[in-house]
Amino acid sequence: MITEFFSIASAVATDPYLLGLSALGTILGILMGCLPGISSTMALAILLPVTYAMSPLAAMVFLMAVFSASVFGGSISAILINIPGTPGAIVTQLEGYAMTKDGRASEALTYSLFSSTIGGIVGLIILMLVAPLVAKAAMQFRSPEFAMTTVFGLTMLAYSTPGSTFRGILSGVIGLLCGMVGFDLVTDVPRFDFGTSALQSGIGLVPLTVGLFGLAEVFRGIEGGVKGARKTPKLGTLVPSFEKVRRLWKTILRGSALGAIIGAIPAAGSAIAVAVSYAQEQRFSKRGNKFGTGVPEGLAGPEAANNACVGGALVPLMTLGIPGDTMTAVLMGALLIHGLRPGPMLFAERPDFVASVYVALFLALLLTVVFGFLLVRHFVRLMRTPDHILLVIIAMLCVVGSFAIRNNITDVYIMIAFGVIGYVMNRLDIPVAPLAFGLILGPILEENLRRSLIISDGSWLVFIERPIALTMLVLSVSALVFPLLQRAKILASNLKR
Amino acid sequence: MAFNINYRRLVIAAVIIILSPVACNNGTEAPFPSNPITFVVNWPAGGGMDRAGRLVAEYARKRLDVPIAVINVSGAGGATGVRHVAESDPDGYTVGILGASLVASQYINPNANSVDDIDIISFIGPDPAALQVRSDSGINSLEDYVQRAQSDPTPIKNGNDAPGGVSHIAATLLQRLTNIELTLVPYRGYAPTVAAIVSGEVQSSTLPVHQLIDQHEAGDIKILGVMSEERHFMAPDVLTFKEQGIDLVTGDWRAIYLPNNIPEDRHAFLETLFFETISDPEFQEAARQLSFFITPMMAEETKQFVEDFDRSLYPVLLENGLVKARQK
Repeated sequence: MITEFFSIASAVATDPYLLGLSALGTILGILMGCLPGISSTMALAILLPVTYAMSPLAAMVFLMAVFSASVFGGSISAILINIPGTPGAIVTQLEGYAMTKDGRASEALTYSLFSSTIGGIVGLIILMLVAPLVAKAAMQFRSPEFAMTTVFGLTMLAYSTPGSTFRGILSGVIGLLCGMVGFDLVTDVPRFDFGTSALQSGIGLVPLTVGLFGLAEVFRGIEGGVKGARKTPKLGTLVPSFEKVRRLWKTILRGSALGAIIGAIPAAGSAIAVAVSYAQEQRFSKRGNKFGTGVPEGLAGPEAANNACVGGALVPLMTLGIPGDTMTAVLMGALLIHGLRPGPMLFAERPDFVASVYVALFLALLLTVVFGFLLVRHFVRLMRTPDHILLVIIAMLCVVGSFAIRNNITDVYIMIAFGVIGYVMNRLDIPVAPLAFGLILGPILEENLRRSLIISDGSWLVFIERPIALTMLVLSVSALVFPLLQRAKILASNLKR
Repeated sequence: MAFNINYRRLVIAAVIIILSPVACNNGTEAPFPSNPITFVVNWPAGGGMDRAGRLVAEYARKRLDVPIAVINVSGAGGATGVRHVAESDPDGYTVGILGASLVASQYINPNANSVDDIDIISFIGPDPAALQVRSDSGINSLEDYVQRAQSDPTPIKNGNDAPGGVSHIAATLLQRLTNIELTLVPYRGYAPTVAAIVSGEVQSSTLPVHQLIDQHEAGDIKILGVMSEERHFMAPDVLTFKEQGIDLVTGDWRAIYLPNNIPEDRHAFLETLFFETISDPEFQEAARQLSFFITPMMAEETKQFVEDFDRSLYPVLLENGLVKARQK
């Protein structure tokens, strides 16, 4: 695989047509990704017909560039205007936007670009070296494992909210409830739809996050507009000092590994990878209690995870022919149209083609850095727009973004409702991030828990008999029990005295 | 003074822009279609329906002077997109693609449209379901499968959609016709079901043929039979259920539809347009590459097909307690 990689890489690197295609794909990917409502999937689906007439290699070079660049693009709007451009960027704004408000927008974008690239490369390396192995491991991850990992995620969540744990859990529970709206998987009964067709599709992650973060921010801006609370971003210090980046190494590697692994699990997806990475960094970081105020670790970890997911998601596609998410499903469509069917056969018979997919991804990562650095400066300049204009633009983007995801006006109403909810919660000092996590994790837990029980014929032992599920269960229980024991110990020693 | 001139120009430009539609409408009516056509896909971008829809739109575009804009209006198991088309202006500028989910959701979902709320104009092709098993299950034929299911006290676990979904209906029909009992394990969509059978969480699945064709060729998965009238071009060695003595024909299908009450001439134009597009050998070749079965039909035949499908589906839904919205 390695020799093929280099021979194809040198061929691509000397071909101006392919380089041009990759550059075009990168620019389109960044621009489409940063527009709220155009997810990576949509960008790929829109641009797929363009590739019908190309050679398979050219098509892959172009589409991989769009894929990889749109993932980074989604972070730009999250960092600058608090609206995640793609579902994988839903935690990016927690720290990223906090940094922007602090006048450190270019620093935040640079961290994002840097960790995205490293994440992407780690994902690619894993894809190249151990894809069959990772695919096999990811296949061990079935319904009981999903259920228990989600339990673990929710447990972490209870701890990882800044400020009062009670308020964090309250917000998380609201999120869990929101996740139950819509058709139930096992019985196909619509729940909490109040008899309208509007809520039957459930509450989408994008309208919810756009409202909760983006529109709520507009409301806050209107309130504080007279005072002019936001600092004008400084353009300088584009490259954070070496020392600052060095401190993030571990965070980025942790995020990358996590992203590549979660990305390789079919149907898990980047939204989960970033949520887990954020919670994890909060536990590991010395500044964990300051999360939400612009801590680089909370930005770099999830960003690395988000991009490592790209390589990860390609693992089951290239080795098993299973598209793990909608993005890879579009890529699979692109390959099919060129008469190439990804899977064990292609992997064995056409290693040259598999290698060219890796080359395409590698090229895309390099070009994303180049164009990212060139564009960051201009994006940040946009932030110098006066508040009264910027807020209107953000409000418009919120509406367009939530509408565009499904072309459904209901999503706009949902977005506005969550804008109000987000604003009120903010006034009441209730953190909003757990609400978004609850919405992501709740349905996964419910679906997999119920499915596990169908498969085990109603026996709960299934969560204890399987090693990965058991590990997750033990971790969750100890995360809940240990702090209590510690407290009891302190209490006991106090009593002794 | 520069300001004044610009201002005057602006006013003139504004007047022209405002009056231009009026001017256009004064002339004789432009031949249909003179505006872009919206093509609604009722599932998210990236899925099978989306790929089929975009391919049809791409080739139909070549026969027109106006663009076709593909939009995805997804949600509520495909019902939201159908509603979008059903409630759009009946001027022929909104067209949609849909599948078997329409027929099921009219009974399951009180808010879904019924088949009568829309006007189906042409058939693209079926996407027949099949029965797949893991090779390590030791099951080698449909006969083996039925025998195992009847004799083994632990039921075979079958991966499929949520109730009412195509692969769930296929599994239910399989149970009825062969008198066996399976544990039906629901997954959200085809890709998770594929992952489930490949990982061994379930032993069999009732997915469309092309979903597991590669694993079938590699020997990890065995396709025991195809639930269609004729064999599938991607797996010519696999027998149909009918060939194996079980009269089971089911699966998804795809068709083009309009809102009701389209003016007759436009209706005829669109019906011909899509029939010709789908009959085009070049389109059929591209569709084959994407593993789509193509069997074009005009409106009359398509309506008959949907009616027959409806009739075969109803008892299955009734038996599963899924007839909640309207009765037949």
